[in-house]
Parts: sequence; structure tokens; C-alpha cells
Amino acid sequence: MDAVRAFLRHPSGMAGLVLLLAVVALALLAPVLFPVSPWEMVGAPFTPPGEDGMWLGGDTLGRDVAAGVAHGARVSLVIGIASAFAAMVIGVVIGAISGYFGGAVDLVLMRVTELFQTVPAFILAILLVATFSPTLTTIILTLGAVSWPPLARLTRAEFLRLRKREFVEAALCQGEGTARIVLGHILPNAISPILVVTSLTVATAILLESALSFMGLGDPNQMSWGFMIGAGRTVIRNAWWMSVFPGVAILLTVLAINLFGEGLSDVLNPRVSRRRA
Amino acid sequence: MSGASDPAILSVESLSIALPKGGDRPFAVEDVTFSIGRNEVVCLVGESGSGKSMIAHAILSLLPKGVGISSGAVKVVGQDTARLDRRALRRLRGGEAAMIFQEPLSSLNPLKRVGEQIAETIVTHQRPVPPAAEIDARVQDLLGQVGLPNPPLLARSFPFELSGGQRQRVMIAMAMANRPALLIADEPTTALDVTTQRQILRLIDELRRERGMGVLLITHDFGVVADVADRVVVLRHGKVVEHGTVEQVLRHPREAYTRELIDAVPKAQVRSREDKSGAEALLRVEDLRKTFVVRRGWFRPPREVVAADGVSLTLHEGETLAVVGESGSGKSTLGRMIMRLTEPDSGAIRLGGQDLRQLRGEALRQARRGLQIVFQDPFASLDPRQKVGDAVARGPMAYGTSRAEAMEQARALLARVGLTPAAADRYPHEFSGGQRQRICIARALALKPRVLVADEAVSALDVSVQAQVLALLAELRREMRLAMIFITHDLRIAAEIADRVIVLQKGRIVEEGPTAEVFNRPREAYTRELLEAIPGRRFFDQPGIVEGVA
Repeated sequence: MDAVRAFLRHPSGMAGLVLLLAVVALALLAPVLFPVSPWEMVGAPFTPPGEDGMWLGGDTLGRDVAAGVAHGARVSLVIGIASAFAAMVIGVVIGAISGYFGGAVDLVLMRVTELFQTVPAFILAILLVATFSPTLTTIILTLGAVSWPPLARLTRAEFLRLRKREFVEAALCQGEGTARIVLGHILPNAISPILVVTSLTVATAILLESALSFMGLGDPNQMSWGFMIGAGRTVIRNAWWMSVFPGVAILLTVLAINLFGEGLSDVLNPRVSRRRA
Repeated sequence: MSGASDPAILSVESLSIALPKGGDRPFAVEDVTFSIGRNEVVCLVGESGSGKSMIAHAILSLLPKGVGISSGAVKVVGQDTARLDRRALRRLRGGEAAMIFQEPLSSLNPLKRVGEQIAETIVTHQRPVPPAAEIDARVQDLLGQVGLPNPPLLARSFPFELSGGQRQRVMIAMAMANRPALLIADEPTTALDVTTQRQILRLIDELRRERGMGVLLITHDFGVVADVADRVVVLRHGKVVEHGTVEQVLRHPREAYTRELIDAVPKAQVRSREDKSGAEALLRVEDLRKTFVVRRGWFRPPREVVAADGVSLTLHEGETLAVVGESGSGKSTLGRMIMRLTEPDSGAIRLGGQDLRQLRGEALRQARRGLQIVFQDPFASLDPRQKVGDAVARGPMAYGTSRAEAMEQARALLARVGLTPAAADRYPHEFSGGQRQRICIARALALKPRVLVADEAVSALDVSVQAQVLALLAELRREMRLAMIFITHDLRIAAEIADRVIVLQKGRIVEEGPTAEVFNRPREAYTRELLEAIPGRRFFDQPGIVEGVA
């Protein structure tokens, strides 16, 4: 509860949270604000912003850019959060096993992690999405599969630090089982930095998804920001609004998540928060 | 030794230091007055939270943000430190007044050679800056003066290559670099072994005599006070309780609190003990060996540290066995190996007919029941996110006791170790160090072990709390017929609590025998050396002399 109170007093963290809540609200209210499908052609192609009842203009096929941005928020947030969660699950499991058991297990798992780290995440993502058909699920899993290594490394480091702590050894001497020690003692004490990095992973995942959609590798049934920019890029010189507005949406969302994540980090990391107090 | 006629080097005049609002008390320090003359050692004594370090920090204007002097003044050689500007303060710090801290490792820059760090203090303060060759000569001279061997080599070493005592000597050399008039030493020997402690205190004393410095020594140990101080200031909750010469304060304390503190100092008095070696042998450690191998880069041979070199011991039912030794003697490793927290290279640990070393998995878990440990640091050994009641009840629950029953037992145990049963629903951070150590004891005893390993279990506590926890352990031991292995670096405590003593040096048992015998008639030179290094032997009963003076 102290952490919540400290967060409420954190200026940039709160700014991020407010912005993020605004994006979430936009995503949730999209069907109400724009009941017509964003794929529907509702006006003349190349309608500039403000005309024809389209605040943000229309795209090359006369689809409402504003509707696209609102519906795209859902796709971006769902993909961002779900894939960061997937990355957290994979990363924490691998990092925990590696950090707790050490030895040969650690050696093998960390080499695998390094393998993933040496291949550029975006290239690997393209490869995976191109191999499987691009649906919402495969994109989420793909982004999860390329984003877990930093989380695994972090979890491993935290586990290594905590495993030798006396309260963990005391639990061992008390006869508690491995699962209970890991889940009951080590993980709760390691969770703060993991949450911070996961929140920042959401931002990276949103960017990756946008980049995939930009290249035409997104789910063709989902209106997403990256897809909109990709579709509008050829006409950016005479119809700037088609790519600028989704671009601004990505910028603000990623900024909001980063501010939120930084704020979370300051609050949950006692050394930093003590300096602020 | 008295500097009454000289002008005071340090004078603290009715000093009050205000704490930020919302703290547990309005003032860290309230109306404290004392002074130090030339060539005089004044000890500030008090338990943790008494404000003694605050005073030291106020002298050099090093108070943390939000804490400030609210009234009174601190004058170093006539200058009011609170009124100095930043340049004058820089000249003062490390110039007129130097400070050494408790933890020499964290006070030295780990990435810089020792010689460079000492040179830096000279370069910062001497105007004009002396030529490099002269600085070099000064550095080596200083290293020689603080008794470090081979100064040229040492000047090129990094802090991590030195031992704790050597690091503290380097800190002292650094403090001495500009011939300060005042040396402030904040618990300078608390992190060190007894023998090293004695050498460092002697060194400070010699330097003081040579240079006529005033020394402010902050300590919690009355033994240290008795050995080096001219005058003593006893602090409690930020107020001066008593102030006087060592003779007055230690021999004839006026205040009850001072008497309490002095009485709480373990006196190394060997009480007569019944011989329990006839009882059944409960735990047998046979020829335990352990060598730690530290790799040091690609081209240097790995360093080997022998922690146990054929250690054998027997613990009888109801017996308390003290394992004493300096840091690095392998005493903690021995305890950890018995607990199976550190894997020995070879040997056997037999408890109730089983060799613990051969056990794996569930069998080991079952065997662990009979063997519990209390760690040194009560702040590190409780899970900050686990309620105290859970911490105690978790053990029995892991062996199949129902939650309700285990919680009930936990409450009873918490009450038994001197806490309220309501403590069960609170988190560790709400408790003081002594209370936490009681919780750790309750946790260890919840499984009704036959053997309790106490690894420096009272070393992190204040003397008065130390005495209470020791008394509690002694009671519980009788009540539960516990056999105890008491690992400690403090021979005074070993003498008070143990039936038998083992003296360890570099992983080898140097001497072993009934407490009275080891303390009264030590056979080995090393044991004698340890006994002689006990601080405060001048004042307090010495081991071996049962009918004391105090």
C-alpha cells in the first residue's frame, strides 16, 4: 500500500498512468464511439481531416482514420499486454529454474537464452510470423518468444541473489519443499523488478507489432496502427494524415507505458524511492 | 594525558539535532555537551539509536538531508563547523579533522590502488601540492607508520586484496595523511576480529601519543572503552546519561542505565559446569574437509581457501559446545556444513545413526527436523514478505501439522520467547533487531529440534539485548534439553554459555576441552593470544579468574 501511495506522488509516473488510462478508455469505447467497422468505406478516398464527418480524415479507400486509430488501440494493447505476459511467463520460468538450480541446468538454459539474444528480435519475429500464418494468437506468441531473454536474465540474477539469503536457507532448514521455497519466498521478493521490466516489454511489443503490420505481416483481419501507417506510407506526401495520426498514437502509448514503467521502478526500487523521499 | 589546560580541540556545546517530523522522536541528539583536549581519547558509548553516530556526522557537517542542528554548536579547533562555507569545510574534512568508519571495505574506492587513494588526500589538502616523488615517499612513510608490511607493494594493491585489518590500517593512514588535530573513529573495530581489534586500538593510541591528537572514539563495547578511553560519555536516546573519567564511570557508575550496560558486558566468567560428556553422543562430525577454490583470472593459479581441514567433533545430549575463532577460521562454514547448507568435500555428519551427507531428497528433509539453525543477521534471516506467525508455523506445517494447530503453537512459542502472541500477525520490519532474533529462535524451535546451531546469533545485537537473548537461549536449552553448537568470535560469550569449547584456526581444531580448562589453562599459544585480545581485561574479570574485582 505504501508503494501505491508513493506512486500517486510520482509526477511522471502518474502522467504515464493517466495517458495509459486514456488509451485504454479509447480502446474500450471504440465500438461505442465508432460503431461502424473501421474497414468500412464511409467517405470519399483522400478526405482531409475534419471533412465529411471524419475528424482525422479518410484513407486511400475512404475508411475513417479516427475509427482505425480507436480500433487499432484495442489490437495494440491486447497484443502488447498479452505478449509481454507470455514473455514474462517464459522468462520467469527459465530464469527461475536457471537461477535456483544453477550448475549444468543453468549453463544449458543460459546458452539457449544467449542464442535468442544474439538473433535480432525483429528478424526472428518476421521469420516466425512468416512461417506460421499471421493470426492474433501467433503474433502474440511470436512476440512473447522474442521478448523473454531479458526477463529470463533478470529473474536468474534475482534468484541467484536471493537463493543464498538467510531467510531462504532458513526455509530450507525448516523442511519446506523446493516449490514452496521458490513460489513462497524467492519469487515474491524478486517480483518488483520483474514487473517493471515486463511493463517496459509491453511498449517494445507494441512497437514490434506495429513494425510487423507495417511490413504487411500483421493479422489481416485486425485494424492496427502499424498496418495503417504501412498502407498510408506511399501517399505520405499528399495525404500526411493517414500515417501521422496512427504514428502519434503509437508514440503516445509507448511513451505512456515507459513513463508508467519508470515510475513503477522508482517506487518499487527502495534505493531510488528513498532518495526521492 | 589530561588536556584540561589546553584549548579544546573539539567542543560540543549543548548540541541538539532535530529529526524530520514524523520520526520516533523529535531530536536525534538533545543538549549534548563535551569537549576533547589535545592528546585525549573520549569515548561516546551507547546502544544503537542512541545518536552517537549523529554527533560524529554533525562534527564534520555530514548530517543527512532533512536532519539539522537546531541549537548549540560544534567547534573544531575553535571553528564552528555549521557556519563554515563549502571550501572551508573541505579544508577541515581530512585536514584538521579526519574520520574513519566501521566498514573499511565500503569506505575505500574498490577501483583505485590504495597508494593513490592516500595520495589523493595529500594532494587535496597540501598547498602548494608537493612534487610526485615527495607524495610517493609520504604515502609509503604513512603505510609504514600504520604498521603495514612492505609499503611499496601495498601502495600498489587494490582494497580487495587486503584483509579487513589491513584495510582499516589504510583508512587510518589516510586519516593521518594531513596530521589532523582531531580523529573521529566511528566503531572502527566492530567489523574486525579480537586480535586485529587490539592491534588497531593500539595503533590509534600510539599515533595519538606521538602526535598529540584528540580522538573521539564511538563504540558500543565497554571493553574497548576500558582499554583506550580517558573520558567517557554515555548516551541514551540522544541524551547524555553520564559523563566522566573511565575510572569514575566504569568503577563507580552513578546512573542505573550505565550500570546496566556495564553489567550486560559478557564477563568471560567461567561458571562451573556439570560434565555432560558422559551423556549419549547426539551428533558426531567425522573428519570434515572443505576447500573453497577461488578462480583469479586466466593466468593466475586459483586461490585455495581451506575452511575445514579434518574437523571432528562430538556433541552430547544437552551440551553446549562453543566454536570460537577469528574470521576466516572456518567456524561458520562448519556450522553450515552440519546444516547441509554447504557441501563438504569429505567426511561424515552423523545424527541419530544416519550420515546426513548420504541423505538426499525426502530423507534429508525428514532428517533436517532434528537440526535447526539461528543465523547472525536477524534482518536478513526473516522473509520481509512473510508474517511472523507464518514464519514460525511454516516448519511444522511442512511436516504435516495442520495450519490451525501450527499457528496455535507458533503463538505459544512467540509468547515463550518474550513477544506478545499478537506478534504473529505482523511483518518482520515492525520489530527491532533483538525481537527479530527472538522470532528466529522461535522459528528454529518450532520443529522441536535436538540440535540447535547458533551462528553468531547474538553478534549483531546491542550488549543489553545480547544478554537477554543469551539468557533466553540458556533457559530454552534446559527446558527443551537442546544440544547447542554456539559459533562465536566473542570469547567472553563463549565462556558464559558453553560447556565445552573448540578453538578453530584456518579450518583446523587448535584446542578443544571443557570451558574452564581452555580458559584457565590454555595449552596452545593461539588460544592464549585470543584470550589476551579480549577487550577490557583491565576492568572486567578476566577469563580464568573466577572471583573478580568488579
